[in-house]
Amino acid sequence: MWKYTLRRLALIVPTLFLLGTLLFFMLRVLPGDEALFITSGEESVASVEDLERLREAWGLNDPLYVQYWRWLRGILQGDLGYSRYADRPVWDALASKIEVTATLAFLSVVVALAWSLPLGIISALWRGSWIDQTIRVITAAGIAMPNFWVAILLLLFLVKFFNWIPPILHVSIFDDPVTALKRMLFPALVIGFRSASTISRMTRSTMLEVIGDDYIRTARAKGLGPYVVTMRHALANAIIPVLTMAGLLVAALMDGAVIIERIFTLPGLGQQIVDSTSARDFVMVQGIVLILAVFMMVWILIVDLLYAWIDPRIRYE
Amino acid sequence: MQPSAAEHMGTERRDALGRLERAGKAFGSFTRAHPTGAAGGVILCVIIVLVLLANVISPFRYDRTVARQLMPPLSHATIEEGRNWFGTDELGRDVVSRLLHGGRVSIFVGIMAPLIGVAIGTVLGIASAYFSRWFDLLLQRLVDTVLILPAIVVAMTITVAFGFTVPVVIMALAVSYSASSVRVVRSHALTLSNMQYVEAARALGSSDMRIIFRHLVPNSLPVSMVLIAVSVGAAITAEAALSFLGIGIQPPIPSWGNMLTRAQLNFDLAPHIAIAPGFAISIVVLAVNLFGDSLRDVLDPRLRNVR
Repeated sequence: MWKYTLRRLALIVPTLFLLGTLLFFMLRVLPGDEALFITSGEESVASVEDLERLREAWGLNDPLYVQYWRWLRGILQGDLGYSRYADRPVWDALASKIEVTATLAFLSVVVALAWSLPLGIISALWRGSWIDQTIRVITAAGIAMPNFWVAILLLLFLVKFFNWIPPILHVSIFDDPVTALKRMLFPALVIGFRSASTISRMTRSTMLEVIGDDYIRTARAKGLGPYVVTMRHALANAIIPVLTMAGLLVAALMDGAVIIERIFTLPGLGQQIVDSTSARDFVMVQGIVLILAVFMMVWILIVDLLYAWIDPRIRYE
Repeated sequence: MQPSAAEHMGTERRDALGRLERAGKAFGSFTRAHPTGAAGGVILCVIIVLVLLANVISPFRYDRTVARQLMPPLSHATIEEGRNWFGTDELGRDVVSRLLHGGRVSIFVGIMAPLIGVAIGTVLGIASAYFSRWFDLLLQRLVDTVLILPAIVVAMTITVAFGFTVPVVIMALAVSYSASSVRVVRSHALTLSNMQYVEAARALGSSDMRIIFRHLVPNSLPVSMVLIAVSVGAAITAEAALSFLGIGIQPPIPSWGNMLTRAQLNFDLAPHIAIAPGFAISIVVLAVNLFGDSLRDVLDPRLRNVR
């Protein structure tokens, strides 16, 4: 088990290397560079000579492989680089944003699971009843509605009836947890709602498969109560495919974060990556993507390890 | 004895009729077995016909100011003759006309992106399974890498690099679908390439290309079709998301996504311009998903966990 975990962790390194390299050259295809975007303001445009001087000073005129090697050497030393656009090291600029996105992601998962598992189980247990039909309609709608539209409608509702608008100032969760969580609650609800719809449909269908099995009948026959039968026998076996889904969910979550953070004006990684790509702040984009990738791979590893914990038949060599 | 010309035509006609009858029966049994899927298919067809007829049936031009800005639904147009059934947007353009024309773009992108992406993914996935060794290894690592990135980030980089036009947006979204379909098709093709007919074809001296395109591709088509069907809904949403962020389809070309871009600013005055495009997206995606799910059950029930 430990060996397996270590090997998986070690596998993260080559993947990151490939990803970083691919991204580095992919981004260099974009027309325009940092020098151009930093100097071009509303009314002032830098002269060609000034631009050249800047490029020379920042090493943008060096051949690509020299720039690549410079960046790679920095990464190996744990330095994500220096963003000229933000005029600060990438780590400094991203620290508070990582916190925002991580909190949002965590809350969304909590919301998604808290809402989807009970719905899926109820739907399966009372299959065909009006409550099952209602849940199926809600979840089908949840998948069909684009989450940014749900976010806009939710905001519309909050503004109209509660006079609540998303605050401009950012509060760290470490300084003032209550205010920070209050801020994150609605965005997390929106992102979680969508994922919850997918998971609850999945839970329903796997529960239905399991419920017909012999060992469930045996469990009932030996006089176990419905709660124990459902939770200990049926759910424990039905949850494995659901977990796989939850593992893939983090990708959907990131997609959601990019847009939802913008609508709720949350200063997170998703908001930053859109701005940085538009501003050709390549170093920043690379930093964000690498951080997201690490986050993603660790998440998937945790899900894989959870399988073994839930289902003793699964053993990793 | 050779059949006479008249008899021949008769059999052909009977064949055609029989085929029609069989198609009708197949449709009937599909409807009975999957009423929701059939309903989704019908809704989808109706919407596609509506947006294709956008030039004919939309009451106004999509890019012309016809009334005051942000007029509520059912108001009369003031500059041109007619009624704005769903009000006007922030430039005084008719929302219904824009919905119809925007739907063209959104649905076209939503169908083309998975179609192209899955087509590329199918060929690559089969090649990956068939050639194995280094090609397989390299491609799988590449696919893993692309799939780690959030799809929207991949698409964003491509549209920012190559411009915000319809073909670029289609290709930008297609990249993600080809990466995810390579995986599914590859695992399916791995079992296929061990089949006896592949071995027989090789024994007969067929070339690799012939085996791939005459035997493996046709046998993987059900899988690919399901992949396309279940991706269309997601593709429509993804296009809307990109255009909403301002890095997809650009005005003046309307799309359901960019119609929502400015809606947030005009909440108080005109909630209808926020509601209409989102509602259109939801209905279409719901119809596509209902139809796709049923199609998946019919073509290949083993794929139930794909998505």
